[in-house]
Order: sequence, then C-alpha cells, then structure tokens
Amino acid sequence: MNKILKLGVFLAVVSAIAGGALAFANEMTAPVIAANNEKTEKAALLQMYPDASESDFEEVELKSESTTVQKVYKYKDLFIFNMKVSGYKDGTTFLVSINGDDKIIDNFLAMSNGDTKGLGSKVLEDDFRNSLLQKSSEEELDTISGATVSSQPVVDAINEASTYVDELK
Amino acid sequence: MNRFQNFKNGLLKDNPVFSLYLGICSTLAITTSVNNGLGMGVAVICVLIMSNVIISLVRNITPEEIRIPVYIVIIATLVKIIQMLIEAYAPALNTSLGVFIPLIVVNCIILGRAEAFASKHGVLDSALDGLGMGLGYTLAVTVMSLIREVLSTGMINLVNPFDETQILLNIRIIPDDYVISMFSSPVGAFVTFAILAALVSVYKNHADQKAAAKEVK
Repeated sequence: MNKILKLGVFLAVVSAIAGGALAFANEMTAPVIAANNEKTEKAALLQMYPDASESDFEEVELKSESTTVQKVYKYKDLFIFNMKVSGYKDGTTFLVSINGDDKIIDNFLAMSNGDTKGLGSKVLEDDFRNSLLQKSSEEELDTISGATVSSQPVVDAINEASTYVDELK
Repeated sequence: MNRFQNFKNGLLKDNPVFSLYLGICSTLAITTSVNNGLGMGVAVICVLIMSNVIISLVRNITPEEIRIPVYIVIIATLVKIIQMLIEAYAPALNTSLGVFIPLIVVNCIILGRAEAFASKHGVLDSALDGLGMGLGYTLAVTVMSLIREVLSTGMINLVNPFDETQILLNIRIIPDDYVISMFSSPVGAFVTFAILAALVSVYKNHADQKAAAKEVK
C-alpha cells in the first residue's frame, strides 16, 4: 500500500513538473501562433482582393452550425467563406467569395492542401480555380478528374456555403 | 574512442531506421520532400538529445516499476514543447509535417534509446547517443526524401523553414516528362525503403565478414 502511494506521488510530481514546463512554453508561443494565423488569413484575403485594405473585410457571424465554415467575412456585397474540408489525408483550407445577390462565385483561393503532392494538390492550381470562377455556387461544379477525393469536398463545401448566403444577408 | 564508436554506430551500422528498423512509420510518411525530411530530422534530434539527457539524470531516482510511464511523460512533454515552437516560428514546416510532429512521442527510437541506453548510462554518453541516433535518423529520412523528391517531381526544392518566401535551392534534375509520380505515394516510400535497407544490410554483412576474417587470422 505504502509503495503504491510512493509510486503514485512520484509520477504525480513528474507530471506536475511536465505540466509547468508546458504552461511556460504555451505562454511563450501562443501569442506568436495567434498572430501568425491572423497574418496568413489577412494576407490571403488581400491576395484575393489586392485593391482592398485590411479593414475592409468585416467579420460576420454565421448562425447555422457548420463544421466546414471557419470564418465568414463581408466585403462590399460579397461573402468570403474561410472553409476547411477533409480530403484524402489532411484536406484543403480555402477561401471562396460568393456574391450575395446572384450567388456567383467571384473568387477562389486554396490556401493549403495536405493531400498527396501532384494529385490532391491540384486543387491549389489555377486550372481548378478558373473552372469555378463566375459559376453559380448553387449548381453542380466540376471536380478534378484523377483527384476527385480532394476536389469533391471542396465543391460540396462551396455548394454548402451558398445555402448560408441568404441567412447572412 | 568507445564514446565515439557509440556515436558512429548510430549513423550507419546501427542506423535506427535501416538497421534497427525503428521509427519507420514517420519515415515512410514524411519523406516526400527534402524540406520535410530535414525538418523532421532536426525535431527528432532535439527531442532525442533532451529526452536522453533528462532520463539519464533521473535514472537513479526513478522507481523501476513506473519507469516507462515516467519516460513517456518526459518524452511527451518535450515533443509538445517542440511542436509549439515549430508552430510559432516555422509555421510552414508545421503545415507540411502536420500530425507527424505530435507522433514523435510514439516514435520507437526515442523510447527505445531511453530504455536501452539512457537509463543505464551517464549524461554525456546519453547525449552523444541521442545525437548519433538522431543524426542517423536524419540521414535516413534525408536520403529517402531526396530520392523520392527527385524521382517524383524531378526537382530539389529547399526553402527556409523560418521564412517560406526565402527559397534556398530550387533546381530541376529530371525533365518534367520523365518524372515517376508513384514515388510520392506510399508505394514509392516502401520501394525506396526496401532498397536502402537492403543496401545497408549488404554493407553490414560485408563489415561483419571482414571482422570475422580478421579474428581468424
């Protein structure tokens, strides 16, 4: 009994020290990580609309529950959805802007893709982007042949985003 | 001399990946580009040296019965700290290595060296063992990712992990029409791994035979 207690206390002390070290490291890195994430997102938004300034993008709140929508921004009469979908491996993070009036896809920017290089990563390429632009976000969109597993969730998510546009208006 | 021998063994003869067959999961998964390979290698070296040193320091006060949980807590803490540092200061590397950074915790090289070496040897020896084994791992993943990246994309592409926009090296070796994209998929990983493991095996057998012949004389 005594021994079990002793072992338990030893393990507890080790874990407490470990917890302290982690808290310290977290304190140090958390602000840097948050700043990084915001910087990447702002940079991506500006890449989509180079004429805009950072303050033009107004964050709006989505009431519906969605696992794919990370954030929504409003810019002029466009809604920009930051979405994350699963794919073959890590999936894709992308921004898509949809016009609030006619639901036309105004712009698309894939930020990262964690799927197989050369196949799934085709969603990052211009061919895919061009196949989406100026199409209606409500209708069926083209996927990439040979990379369906990566591109299907992206077009599904765009269709999903278009259903939120009315709610956001 | 003996110390140096320990260190040298980890590099080739007892290479953790190709000779001890430890930590193969991450080796197969992340070796798609030299950038990933080097990044993962450096992360593993850091964790391995620090875990070896700490475990060697506490080896005399750690009760025998709970040594494995104690090692795991130490290793997991170190890996989490490294992960936070990578996420903060090398975000690009964090995205490309993804889940394989936290998975260093269960990389058998680290627990294996803690149990087989650091828990029985002094601090300096353990640190050197960690460095040797870590470099061995780095060598293995770098060679593998070099072969796979060149064959599957025809290029070598190195960027500064702390600043994505700074490209250190970007050269094309094989024309775009002749690349074999299979090498970027898991099949390519297994094929590359098998060939390299076979080569290391040949070297080891050859060295053993030479040593045996010397003894007979």
